[in-house]
Amino acid sequence: MTIFTDIKAILLGLWTTWKHMLRRPVTIQYPEEKRQPSPRYRARIVLTRDPDGGERCVACYLCSAACPVDCISMQSGERENGRRFAVWFRINFSRCIFCGLCAEACPTLAIQMTPDYEICKRDIMDLLYEKEDLLIDGCGKDESYNFYQHAGIGVAQRRGEGAEEKAPVDVRGLVP
Amino acid sequence: MTPDLILIAVTAAKIAIVLFAILTLAAYLVFAERRVLGWIQDRKGPNRVGPFGLLQPLADLIKLLTKEDFRPPAGDKWLFYLAPAMAAIPAIMTFAIIPFGAPVTLFGTEIAMQVIDLNVGLLLFMALSSIAVYGVALGGWASNSKYALLGSIRGLAQLISYELSMGLSLVPIIMLARSLKLSEIVNAQSGCWFIVYQPLAFLIFLISILAECKRIPFDLPEAEGELVAGFHTEYSGMRFGLFFVGEYINIIVLGGLATTFFLGGWHGPVLPPVVWFTMKTLSFAFFFIWLRGTAPRLRYDQLMQLGWKVLTPLALVNILVTAWWLVLKG
Amino acid sequence: MPKLIIDDITVEVAEGVTVLEAAQSVDIPIPHFCWHPALGKAGACRVCAVKLLDGPIKGIQMSCMLPAQDGMVVSTVDPEAVAMRQQVIEWLMINHPHDCPVCDEGGQCQLQDYTIACGHGLRRYDGKKRTHLNQDLGPNIEHEMNRCIQCYRCARFYQEFAGGTDFGVMGSASRVYFGRFEDGELQSPFSGNLVDICPTGVFTDKTARFRARYWDFDMAPSICPECSLGCNTTPVARYRELLKISARHNDAVNGWFICDRGRFADKKVNSFDRPRVPLVNGSSSGWGDAVDAVAKKAAEFAPGSIAVVASSRLANEGAALLPDLARALSGAKLCFFSNEVICRASITAASQITPHMAASLDDVASADCIVIYECDLRQEAPMMLLAVRQAWRKGAPVFLVGKGAPLEQAAAVSVEAVDLDIIVEAPIGIFDRPVIIFSTMRSSAAEIKNLMAAEAKFAPLFDGPNGMGMAKLAAANSTISLESAVKSGLIKGIITIECVIADELRGEIPIIAALDWQMNSSVKNAGVFLPTTAWVEMNGTFVNNEGRAQQFKKVMAPGIPVSATLESGHPPRIHSLDVPGGEPKPAWEVITEIMKRL
Ligand code: SF4
Ligand code: SF4
Ligand code: SF4
Ligand code: SF4
Repeated sequence: MTIFTDIKAILLGLWTTWKHMLRRPVTIQYPEEKRQPSPRYRARIVLTRDPDGGERCVACYLCSAACPVDCISMQSGERENGRRFAVWFRINFSRCIFCGLCAEACPTLAIQMTPDYEICKRDIMDLLYEKEDLLIDGCGKDESYNFYQHAGIGVAQRRGEGAEEKAPVDVRGLVP
Repeated sequence: MTPDLILIAVTAAKIAIVLFAILTLAAYLVFAERRVLGWIQDRKGPNRVGPFGLLQPLADLIKLLTKEDFRPPAGDKWLFYLAPAMAAIPAIMTFAIIPFGAPVTLFGTEIAMQVIDLNVGLLLFMALSSIAVYGVALGGWASNSKYALLGSIRGLAQLISYELSMGLSLVPIIMLARSLKLSEIVNAQSGCWFIVYQPLAFLIFLISILAECKRIPFDLPEAEGELVAGFHTEYSGMRFGLFFVGEYINIIVLGGLATTFFLGGWHGPVLPPVVWFTMKTLSFAFFFIWLRGTAPRLRYDQLMQLGWKVLTPLALVNILVTAWWLVLKG
Repeated sequence: MPKLIIDDITVEVAEGVTVLEAAQSVDIPIPHFCWHPALGKAGACRVCAVKLLDGPIKGIQMSCMLPAQDGMVVSTVDPEAVAMRQQVIEWLMINHPHDCPVCDEGGQCQLQDYTIACGHGLRRYDGKKRTHLNQDLGPNIEHEMNRCIQCYRCARFYQEFAGGTDFGVMGSASRVYFGRFEDGELQSPFSGNLVDICPTGVFTDKTARFRARYWDFDMAPSICPECSLGCNTTPVARYRELLKISARHNDAVNGWFICDRGRFADKKVNSFDRPRVPLVNGSSSGWGDAVDAVAKKAAEFAPGSIAVVASSRLANEGAALLPDLARALSGAKLCFFSNEVICRASITAASQITPHMAASLDDVASADCIVIYECDLRQEAPMMLLAVRQAWRKGAPVFLVGKGAPLEQAAAVSVEAVDLDIIVEAPIGIFDRPVIIFSTMRSSAAEIKNLMAAEAKFAPLFDGPNGMGMAKLAAANSTISLESAVKSGLIKGIITIECVIADELRGEIPIIAALDWQMNSSVKNAGVFLPTTAWVEMNGTFVNNEGRAQQFKKVMAPGIPVSATLESGHPPRIHSLDVPGGEPKPAWEVITEIMKRL
């Protein structure tokens, strides 16, 4: 009879919730207790430098294109030495959803997520991070990558001296 | 001092004490509900304001009082203002007839632990619970919002349906106690609680009062998953607070009535009667909260089926059986 | 007419059409680098491989080299063809640098698109990459030879299509190099098209280097305002700044290309000294006050003593309102041209020409005889020169008539032209489709009348993008040139609408008001200045030299470029709906405002 199964179901439910009532809560009492997030945790974003200390970001606009909430904006420019760089670079953390798509899109490993999740400000304008707030002195998670050494267009080194390059061709040579 | 003046003074004092007690209890019931639900869900619940979060109700009160008091411009102004009061006041008034302790003798006068011992007390309760329906109906109507209206239509149908089974389940009690006076119903149970004679009536009454105070699994008028907040969708600030607190007062009052009708009222050994009464009442409240953490919401057709096809016929049969039994017993 | 089946779709095409074009005609895309609609085929890139399943030819073939034939059954999705294309892309990528992030082509790069479309993702070859040295090709074009995929489009365009001689291909085998013999500015007046035509990032626009990505561009179809031909362009803006201009395809007008003047002209729109707020007596004011001031000042003049002067920079929408404005100013004189001779010549040309007499650039390119009468196309209409070259390539003789038509213009596109002294020497009569090109700035009304008696099509050139439109309006309304208006001695005040007036011509006559978007002497001397929008900041219409009305759309909102408003290095942090420097309004709107107060 369904009436008995119904009653049984209700009683079973009551028994289950009763048991949980007596359990130890799983709540972590933030901010007194804090959790140690894993290094891969996706929180506050930084811009890193290459091993030689140069800015990794080449202002390629890929992160801003990948960002689903359009919270990255920048202006690219060229330095005298030919490096492409971000004249200004702004992340609006009041909009960021920490999805990590920007870090995934970045071809130079410049933009990286850190485990620092405590980004709370009284004034929302303080959540607008400019390049100087984002740029750190270090390589972040990758110690060795230097985009310009692999780019193949002779910016960080002379043409033909990059990691996977032959010396420039002599176009006037006649040898086949 | 004339006896009349003394009577007035004593009654006023009783009203004051009862009001204070219910309002405080209701406020802490909200707090208790949040804590208990927290435990059920392996959380801690509110524990930040004051020791163990005990000042949380105060914080809630301040919050509600300082919120914007919004009224939908297209709604009916006066009905909109009236509705929350209509929801809360009948619930409080019902408590006037509940005996919450054994009569005590003070300075030679016997004082009933009851604001007023009406000889039609039970009927008054039924009447007041019918009036409470207006709070829901007017609130939803005056808001001029589709969610609110849908909520109040559901509420009306639900409250009217379950009032019937609630009333019918109380008839055997009247027959047993041979009185409508609540103090006499309690006294009739000094030997054996009515729950022993009338387990079925108790069950019907319990389910009906769950539906009367619109609690899960009968919270269709508010159904936040479907209707935003049902009949009080458009209310904010303390007006919403009145609806909210009215619901908890209702829980206490109906718990108190269930105690009075079935669990022997304030009767009990060793401990003082008031304590017994309070414990019994609060156990109902706890059960309501526990059930809220457990049961899912009924569907509208299930609700109607349960009311009209199960509870009402059962209550009628119960009356007949009780009458037959009483006749046989002589 | 050959009838063939491509991917189960039956296609019927004209004789000589390639399989690639046949597929395109039914919207089946086939990747290609070297084939270009304007340049035709080269068979250099091998990426348009398809498989012929049945018919006169079978097996893998290059669809761009293969004329469609009856009974062909073509598959673009056959696994063998797909594999072939994928491997070709993989070869092309063997030497391609790893620098998309710092390449301005990235995002609008055919190589990127086809690499992804053909499914090449992981590099398997781990040998080293070939590198080249770049050349300095002048201030407009950046050279990055490592990115080349040897499609030969640049060399074919530069030498064959545009007749340039200072750029070409050198070296052999995997060392082929596209550049000049030595560093230096490219000489062809059409060199900028290398930017558009190179399917990768070898040639990029230096003037907009590292500024923005394709997906962030503010773009809209527009018209080039640099001469009266009305070439179709796509200006590119970002952060309220005009970055660059690229060609827009229109077969009837400019085809696929534009000239370097149109592409690399000074970006006055962004200019720092561009006046952007209404000025009354030199101090900035609100729109309402400024327009009131114009009305008040104008009221001080006697009827008929004001001249309303416009130039052919003004779009038709504004120009069409001017007769009404003149009437509202109680009979002001309307001057659409400053110079009397040019005024008469323009009106004569515009009123004589009929639609079937007018030669479009396409008509010029398919003419069988070209007469260039007393004008230098390099200055007056560069794209006309490119069209002349196309006609010449097909065998049309080119005659340069008069002293005003120097031989150097033909040399600029490597055309062998015949130099004549007078028009009657040109044997126009023996040709079917002759075109006579003349300029209203060099020839008098009488000369033009004389010329237009010939049996030919005509390509008149005017002094601005809306020259024909202004001339037509001038003919339809009673207008005179400013020169004769001033000479009559009646003019006591001038209102200029997007127009500069030579100080000698104006003399002592005050400028009551000037409407413009550029800084010039009229703006400086005006009592009231009202800022108007430039062509990229509004919708409007220009009527080009052949009488073709062409719309241009708003590319960007007027405003001071963000790069000029940086505060301590970054854009300001204010929320506001008002754009700084966003006051300019389209000329027609300003004119309407003035008329409302008169
Ligand atoms: S984490 Fe996501 S939302 Fe945040 S900046 Fe990156 S892409 Fe945008
Ligand atoms: S994707 Fe990386 S390199 Fe490109 S702009 Fe963003 S941070 Fe800079
Ligand atoms: S030419 Fe295209 S594929 Fe090559 S680097 Fe530039 S964007 Fe990338
Ligand atoms: S430079 Fe560009 S257009 Fe010229 S061959 Fe190389 S890829 Fe083709």
